Amino acid sequence: MALFVAKRLLMALATVLVVAVLAFLLVHAMPGSPGAVSLGAGASQDAIDQLNQQLGWNDPLFSQFFRWLGDAVQGNLGVSLIDGRSVSTDLADRLPVTASLAAGATVLSAILGIALGVTAAVRGGLLDQVIGGFVGLLVALPAFWVGIVLVYLFAVQASVFPATGYVPFEVSPQDWAMSLALPVITLAVGGAAFIARQTRASMLEALQQEHIRTLRATATPTWKILYVHALRYASLPIVAGIALQFIGLFGGSVIAEQLFAMPGLGQAVQTSVSTHDAPAVQGVVVIATVVVVAVNLVLELATKFLDPKLRAS
Amino acid sequence: MIPSVAPAPAPTAADQAASTTSAPAPRRRAAKAAITKASGHKLLASPGAVAGLLWLAVLVLASLTAPLWLPFKTEDQDFTAVLSGPTAAHWLGTDELGRDILSRIFAAAAGTLGTSLITVIVGVGLGTLLAMAAAGAERTEAVISRSTEIMMSLPGTVIILAVIGAVGTNIPLIMAILGILMSAGIYRVILGQAKSLQSQLYVDAAKVDGLGPLGISVRHVLPGLANTIVVQAALIFAVGMLIQAGLAFIGFGPPLPQPSWGGMIQGASQHVYDAPWMMVPTGAVLALTVLSANAIGNALGKAPNAAAAHLPSAAARRHRAAAVAAIAAAPASKDADAQEAPGQGTLSVRNLSVGVDGAGTGNGVALVTGVSFDVAPGTVLGLVGESGCGKTMTALSLLGLLPSGVSVRGGQILWNGRNIAAATDKDMEGVRGRDIALISQEPMRALDPMFTVGYQLTAAIRRLRGMGKAEARTEARNLLEKVGIVDAQRILKTYPHQISGGMAQRVAIALALSGQPRLLVADEPTTALDVTVQAEILSLLRALVKDTGMSVVMVTHDLGVVADICDQVAVMYAGQVVENGKTAAILDSPRHPYTLALLAADPHANDADNMPERLATIQGQVPQPKDWPAGCRFAARCQFAGSACADPVPLLASGTGEGLVRCVKADQLAVEGMDWLATDVPAARLLPVSPATPQHTTVIEKDLA
Repeated sequence: MALFVAKRLLMALATVLVVAVLAFLLVHAMPGSPGAVSLGAGASQDAIDQLNQQLGWNDPLFSQFFRWLGDAVQGNLGVSLIDGRSVSTDLADRLPVTASLAAGATVLSAILGIALGVTAAVRGGLLDQVIGGFVGLLVALPAFWVGIVLVYLFAVQASVFPATGYVPFEVSPQDWAMSLALPVITLAVGGAAFIARQTRASMLEALQQEHIRTLRATATPTWKILYVHALRYASLPIVAGIALQFIGLFGGSVIAEQLFAMPGLGQAVQTSVSTHDAPAVQGVVVIATVVVVAVNLVLELATKFLDPKLRAS
Repeated sequence: MIPSVAPAPAPTAADQAASTTSAPAPRRRAAKAAITKASGHKLLASPGAVAGLLWLAVLVLASLTAPLWLPFKTEDQDFTAVLSGPTAAHWLGTDELGRDILSRIFAAAAGTLGTSLITVIVGVGLGTLLAMAAAGAERTEAVISRSTEIMMSLPGTVIILAVIGAVGTNIPLIMAILGILMSAGIYRVILGQAKSLQSQLYVDAAKVDGLGPLGISVRHVLPGLANTIVVQAALIFAVGMLIQAGLAFIGFGPPLPQPSWGGMIQGASQHVYDAPWMMVPTGAVLALTVLSANAIGNALGKAPNAAAAHLPSAAARRHRAAAVAAIAAAPASKDADAQEAPGQGTLSVRNLSVGVDGAGTGNGVALVTGVSFDVAPGTVLGLVGESGCGKTMTALSLLGLLPSGVSVRGGQILWNGRNIAAATDKDMEGVRGRDIALISQEPMRALDPMFTVGYQLTAAIRRLRGMGKAEARTEARNLLEKVGIVDAQRILKTYPHQISGGMAQRVAIALALSGQPRLLVADEPTTALDVTVQAEILSLLRALVKDTGMSVVMVTHDLGVVADICDQVAVMYAGQVVENGKTAAILDSPRHPYTLALLAADPHANDADNMPERLATIQGQVPQPKDWPAGCRFAARCQFAGSACADPVPLLASGTGEGLVRCVKADQLAVEGMDWLATDVPAARLLPVSPATPQHTTVIEKDLA
């Protein structure tokens, strides 16, 4: 087990490094030098060249990358070319927004998805078909469209939730929850549908196992067979599915943040990409990767812990 | 935004094993040509998929011919109808610049579908290539699998956006890079299947023949993957469209003023307050198109099979309860018989029929018909016969544990004089484990892999015997010792995968004994075990019968097991009992030709001295339930069949003790002392049987002398 954890940690580190290199190269492939981006359209070529020289843009790529990496390890991701703010500080402000969004959506979609999937598998018959149809529809609905419909229903028609904006938790926990409601639901709809499918399939597979018959032959109550034994057997693929969903939902926050005007990482990616703000793009890609890889690692270890075969070895 | 990279649950090891074993090489090869045909049928059988195909076809056609028929150009602005709802002029309304939404939707369709296709081709193509390369070589697999794991744990959306920063909104290029990112998930889905195809015997044979890795991949692996590839392509197509629309929504769509679905929805989102209608048409078209692709993928994909559950769904259980109620309500003609023998611990099966549930109210095929037998306390009954004779179905019906979709159709199972065939599932919970217990064929699969042996045993003991936790723990150890496990304390702490098959069967027997049952139903309890372990388990069962006085119904195809442990035997063939009686009587002087044949075909039934030079065989196979003839079901394979065999054959006294036999020629055979021939059956004695010609017209009366 310890060896397994060590191996996974190494893999995670490698992943982040690969992405760091990738982000570095992508940023260098962006049109326009940092000097040009920073100084804007009216700047003279001399001024641009001078700034580029100052930023080390003309140094060999190798030394540029390792300079960036050295700074990044110490928590310094450079300075935005647009507004001169520290990228690290900016992202530190934004991370809680996206984290609440992604975590909320993951938890909500896991709860809804597992409930729907288990119900479909356990109840069967007409209810299974109805849930199947409903889930099929949810999978096909684009998140941003769902979001607009939600805004129309709950913010325009009935003013239950605010249509846009984000209130930090420190300011008002209640408003924080209210401001997250619609974006979280928007993201969770698709995630819940995928987890529901995964759960239904896993539950059905669990119920096909022969040990279920043994449990029935020893008069195990139905609820215990379903919710202790079958669900336990099905939990491995379900948790793996949730881990996959988290990655997707973290990315999906770009859309939710755009639609609901939330100052999160997604919005940072979108604006920095549009403005060719190289250090910001590079920083946000790496930070997003670190978060996703870390959460994935935890969930993967959880999956392995759920499996007696792996736990024992 | 890229959540659904691996939409299909990864196939489990069990799945792969099943697909490997269930499709023997020759059949698989022969089936290759049929794959495309079968896929077509599957597609057409699903109304959703047909509708999806139609919709996609209409969309593509309409989009490609758009300039010819569209009422407006995409950029035509009608300032008299800005933000209008559906009107006669603008069927789907207009946007904030008065542009016709219908025209813009269809004008954008071809581009959206076409560029999504790029993702499909790159993603599925790369994923398949990687999977085929990995399936062929272990080293390569390790490298590729590691790399794809890394790819799958990346925040794909963020990376795609960074790519856009570098290359701009070049949609085809971005969709291709998206395909590369998604290929990791596709690789994972395809790899399992590719590996199982690669490990087929015919692939080994092809390797011996000198076919190179590339040839094997192309000729033997790729065709088998065809269906999965199409399924993945359809699902990825849908995901690609959603992501592309999402990108356009956040402002990274095709350059303006070119219309895109995501961009149009973005525009609509600006007018939720004043023109909510605007988001409806585009959203609906996008959703419908995604739905279509998903429907096609799901129709071709392998749906989880709800029918194979060992615990049927609530709906299926309600259905069965209704059927059971019908049996209970039906007037039981043999009720008088039932009253005669209500002895404790006595099992009497009377005229039992089991069948597949038909669609609707009708019945499907029968699997077991008119089976009767008795088991007295402390005795062992053997149910013998080849596979497919209904032995296991008969045994499982005793516990009310028939598989989903199979149910008791008539007759009685009298336990202590009470008909448990008509008992509700709730009532059966009181019988299972406490009165009647089960041992399965494969001990490893009969135990829950997620819980320790100790947990499974103590939970059963507490439930069935009402004991406290500590007491149950002690009892669990006693039980394990009783079934011959020496280090019971250690075994209690292990998980099933940590013990051997023989040990697991002992644990399974201990589990069956936990409720102190009076009857043990053992479904081929030794078949999956090594020969030496088989003997140990049999002697354990014999000792348990002696010690506890319980009775056993032993399902087996092994006459050695019968001779070893059974007091009574019921020989089953094609869902019927063809002969029953005392074990010694049946083994010494079998009356039914099938019993004769089984004995002649059993190498262990003969001593070393009189071992025949050549063992007898029984030509042909047990007929499928749907092909059972009205007359003797064994006639088609019988060396002694004659014209009388075409009529239904009753079960009559066989003349040896209380035995019964279902053969019109039983007496004649007994008098003449016929043996089942070991040699190939002479043509004159073989009954020509073809499904087209009814048997009784082609029966040749043979000279039996």
